[in-house]
Parts: sequence; structure tokens; C-alpha cells
Amino acid sequence: MDGMLPSENGGGEAYREAVNSGQLANTYCRHFLITNQNPDGGWGYHRASPSSVEATSWVLMALTSWSQAPALTETCARGHAWLLQAQLPDGSWPAFPGQRQGCWTTSLASLALHLQGGSPEAVVRGLNWLLDAWPADGTLWWRLRQFLARSAVVHQDISLRGWSWTPGTASWVEPTSHALLLLRSLPPGLLPPRAAKRQRLAERMLYDRMCPGGGWNSGNPLVYGVAGVPRIGPTAWALLALIDQPQRAENQMSLDWLARAYAGIRGATSLALAHRCLAAYGRQVPPLAPALGELYLQNRFFESVLAVAWIALAWGGEGSRAGKTAGESLTS
Amino acid sequence: MSLANSRLLPSFNRPPSCVAIVRAQSYDLDLGALLFQALREFDLPLRGKKVLLKPNFVEPDPGGVVNTHPAVVGAARECFLRLGAESVRVAEGPGHERDTEAIVETIRLRDYLGPLPGLFVDLNLDEVHPITLQTRASKLRELYLPKTVLEADFVVSLPKLKTHHWVGATLSLKNMFGIVPGCCYGWPKNILHWAGITRSILDINSTVRPDFAIVDGIVGMEGNGPIQGIAKPSGVLILGDDPVAVDATCARVMGLAPERIDYLAKAGTLLGHLKPDKIRQLGESIASVRTPFAVLPTLQKLVAGNGA
Repeated sequence: MDGMLPSENGGGEAYREAVNSGQLANTYCRHFLITNQNPDGGWGYHRASPSSVEATSWVLMALTSWSQAPALTETCARGHAWLLQAQLPDGSWPAFPGQRQGCWTTSLASLALHLQGGSPEAVVRGLNWLLDAWPADGTLWWRLRQFLARSAVVHQDISLRGWSWTPGTASWVEPTSHALLLLRSLPPGLLPPRAAKRQRLAERMLYDRMCPGGGWNSGNPLVYGVAGVPRIGPTAWALLALIDQPQRAENQMSLDWLARAYAGIRGATSLALAHRCLAAYGRQVPPLAPALGELYLQNRFFESVLAVAWIALAWGGEGSRAGKTAGESLTS
Repeated sequence: MSLANSRLLPSFNRPPSCVAIVRAQSYDLDLGALLFQALREFDLPLRGKKVLLKPNFVEPDPGGVVNTHPAVVGAARECFLRLGAESVRVAEGPGHERDTEAIVETIRLRDYLGPLPGLFVDLNLDEVHPITLQTRASKLRELYLPKTVLEADFVVSLPKLKTHHWVGATLSLKNMFGIVPGCCYGWPKNILHWAGITRSILDINSTVRPDFAIVDGIVGMEGNGPIQGIAKPSGVLILGDDPVAVDATCARVMGLAPERIDYLAKAGTLLGHLKPDKIRQLGESIASVRTPFAVLPTLQKLVAGNGA
């Protein structure tokens, strides 16, 4: 598990020094991801756990963000093949193979395949499924029910729709952001005309769901008139999805919130996402290594494949410039 | 595992349940000693069992108002080990916050449990298996559930004493929403809301009924719970061998009428006991610890003594 870091037990200060100096990035992350690939070619959320579409997609994106060293080529090819095999006949991806229904992971799998290159047919099939996948909220019937119920629970424009986590449920910030990241990454020639409408509607939905004062939570900015508290993850995803409008007041306000919250982050995934997002917008952000090193020493990131993949993506973005496209903001 | 405990029994066929109320004014007390004394009254079959503690961890909240306090989790773990459990793990799948590590590090769970890797499981990212639900209160029929939960011999629901702006109160039954994995259903697990919160609570608990419940009421939450309410010091731990009876007792302590809380009323028909005459009370009496909780205006009908 430690890979190429000095041994924790025997290393003492050398171990701490290695962790804090950046070796965690250069050796540990890559080693961890490569050695934890399952025999079937995919990755699970943890070592030796069943391959999942989400984990595999993020690892592929992380590996793609590194230079394509020959040693990675075969690893990536096997991951790519696993993703293709996991695609359902309707073009969607489930959370795990064997599940009969596609879901939010379709955006991630399509994005991973596209960024890695190759398999455009699979990407287009995923895209078409997403474009046809409307959430259950926002329909005329739904809006009528809300009107008749005179619902005062949440205050948001219920005509705006993005994407849901699972079919038949409501729009939420994170799956909407992931779908937007995919749409913005694909070449215009690949996008059917209906994509533009969904993109506009989803962007409006995200701005509508922003918490008062900036930032996003899962998608409830006001409940019973009380302002929702923003969260790191949804804020970072929404900002990355809306990166084409960097100077918009909502983006700047949310970046300010994220920058203020940065110092208090206590989880590796949140830290990596926040760092990646702030760097993508060209904001000054403290180097990742010391903070991540402390977390690693505390809990080894709970040996989470997802955490290590996001950390690798964040490290790929250190010193990156602002003004990138959504896809570039994730992987370069 | 707890599926073995999921047998649905009409109330008239179910033996009386047992609930204990323990006074505890502060998290600085020796909670392990207090809990152990109370737990010994239950004669639990724990020897050699794999115990799973399911606290309510919602979001990073250093203030200690939103989440089950880690001191209670640590004390419970110590007690179940002392009572002969082979292993005691802690597992949670927060409903809104993906970064579970951030939650457990912010509340300093490590300080009470020791190193967390291997001991704490993020149920949102666990291996999952499809399980047919034991009831059809909702249209869900089947859910993917975490291996860690399915393999446990003895599941303990360990929630905080809180009001809930939609269903009145969130206690040991509602706490089981946290076993539904985010990796399949998202953050939030919106499929449960669309299936109906009350109905989903019933279906989940009929399938993985907690074997025991311990409610952290040392400091609870009133008003716009379960996240945006305010702290309500109540000075109690409420525990028992029937999650319905424990929740009903909690509701009575909070000044609410359990039979008016929809999911509790329905759970009282098949999942456990709601009526006081079927609940053997240990420790403090309800009257001696009753601490009325403020609820939102829309939920005033749940307050005991108000017109139904």
C-alpha cells in the first residue's frame, strides 16, 4: 500500500518528510492507482472491491492527465475496455455492472472515454441517453402539484431542470454539473441540436440553486426560508461546470466562498476538488502537499481509490492557468 | 446479520420491548460506564458476534449539534466489546455530504475510536448487493445495500435526538436511511424521497431492522432539524431492544405524540411497540426527563396535548 514511500514504521521522520515533500504525488498516487486495478480492468472504490463505473471513470481521467508513459498505456486500455463492456444497451452506464438501470455515472463514463480518446460511438450513445434523460421534477404535472400544494418548503424556480442522480427523481447540482462538463468537453460537431437547449436550461438551474452568498450544496439553497449551507464538493463541481463564464458575479462570489472555506477543509477529496477548482480559475491557492500529507498521515485517505484519483487530478492542475474549457480544467 | 431480525410481527404477537433512559448531562462523563450499566440489563446475545454501530453523521459540524457525538459512539463500542462482541465496527453513509472523511475528521472521531481505517466504513462507497425489501410500503421493491451491513450479526442504530422538518423527528428508524449507498442512489438519496419518506423508512427497517438502538439525547436538536435546528440540551441517553419502542420513548421525552408521527404509527403495527403498556421502562421515567422540543409551525399537530 505504501508503494514507494519509506516505511511508516521504520521511516519515522523520513516517512513524514516524504509525505510532505510531494513524493505522495509523484509516486504514491500513481503506484496506488496502477496496483489497485482489478483483474477485470476496472477499479473499485477500495482495493479489491468490485469495479465500479464511477471509480473507473475517475481513475482513467487521472491517468490520462499524466503523460502517457508506456507503462500506463496498457493499464488505461484495460480500463477503457472495462468501461465499454459495462455500457448498457440503451447507451447509459449503471453504478455497477449487473445493474439494469443507467444513472448519473453515464456522464462520467462518457467523459472518461472521450478524454482518453477513441470509442466515439460509445460516447455518442452515452450522450444521447443523457440528452433524453429528463429528471422527474419540472414537468407540467409536477409544477401543477407544487402550485396546488402551495409548497413553501423550498424556494427555487421549479421550471428549471438539469440532471438527476437516478431516473425518475429530481435535478441536483452534482449530476447536472457532471453532465455539463461532458457537454462542454465534446466537440460541437458531436452535439445534436437538442444539446444546446439542455445545456442552457441546466446552467440556469445551477445558478438558480446557488446558495445566498455564493457556493452550492446538493441543491437546496433555501429550505423553509433558511439559507442552505454551501458544501465544498458541489461548489467545486458547479464552478468547474460553469467555467466558461468566469467573470460572472455568481462565479466570483462562489469562488470567494470556496477560497475562504479552503483552510478549514478536513477531507482529502474536498481538498483536492477545491484546489483543482481554484487553480482552474487562476486563483492563488496554497500548495497541496502539506495539507494532503497531514491527512495521509492521519488516515491514509481511507485507502479510497476515488480520493487518490481526485488528488491526482488536483496535482495535475497545480500552477494551471485560468480560462480552460471544462474538460481541460479536469485533466490538464 | 440483521435480516434475521427482520421478521414482521403484529404487535399483539410481539413480546414486550424494553427501553432504558439514562441521565447524562455531559459528553465529558464516563459514558462507557453509564452505558455498560444500562446495557447489562438487556442480556444481549453478543458473544462472538460482529456488531455494527450505525451513527448519524450528516456533515462536518465541529459544534456537535448535528451528528451523533463521537463520545457516544466510542462508549458504545467499548461496551459492546466488553459484552463479548467479536468485533465492533462503525459505519455510516451520509446523505448530503460526499466527503465522509471530512465529517469524521472534523468531529475528531479518531480521538474516541483510535485509527479509523479498517474500523470505520463509508457505506456510501461499500460493496453492494441487491436485496428484495421485506415490505411493499413503497414502490421500491428492491435496494442495493452495503455488504458491511448485510454481513453484520447485530446492527445498532445510534442516532441523535432531533426534530425533522418533514417527518417530525429523526431517530433510530429514520437513521437507517444512512445504510442506502450513495454510490448507487446519489447524494442525497433522492429515490427515497420520491418513494415517500415514511414508506421508505418502513421498507428499509422491515428489511434491516436494527437489533438495538441507542439515542444520543445529551444534546439534541429542536426546531428546523435535522440540519438547521438549534441545540437542545436534554441530558439523556435512550436505549432499547426495539427501535420502534425507543423512538416512541424519545418522542414522548421530546413532548411529541408518537402515534401522530406517521412513520412511527405505521411501524408500531409490524416492526415494534408504540404503546407504553408494551414497553418495559428501565432507568429514569419519561416524566422525569421530559424536555419539550420546539417544532416548526407546520408540525404543531405532533405536539402531545395539542389537538390532533
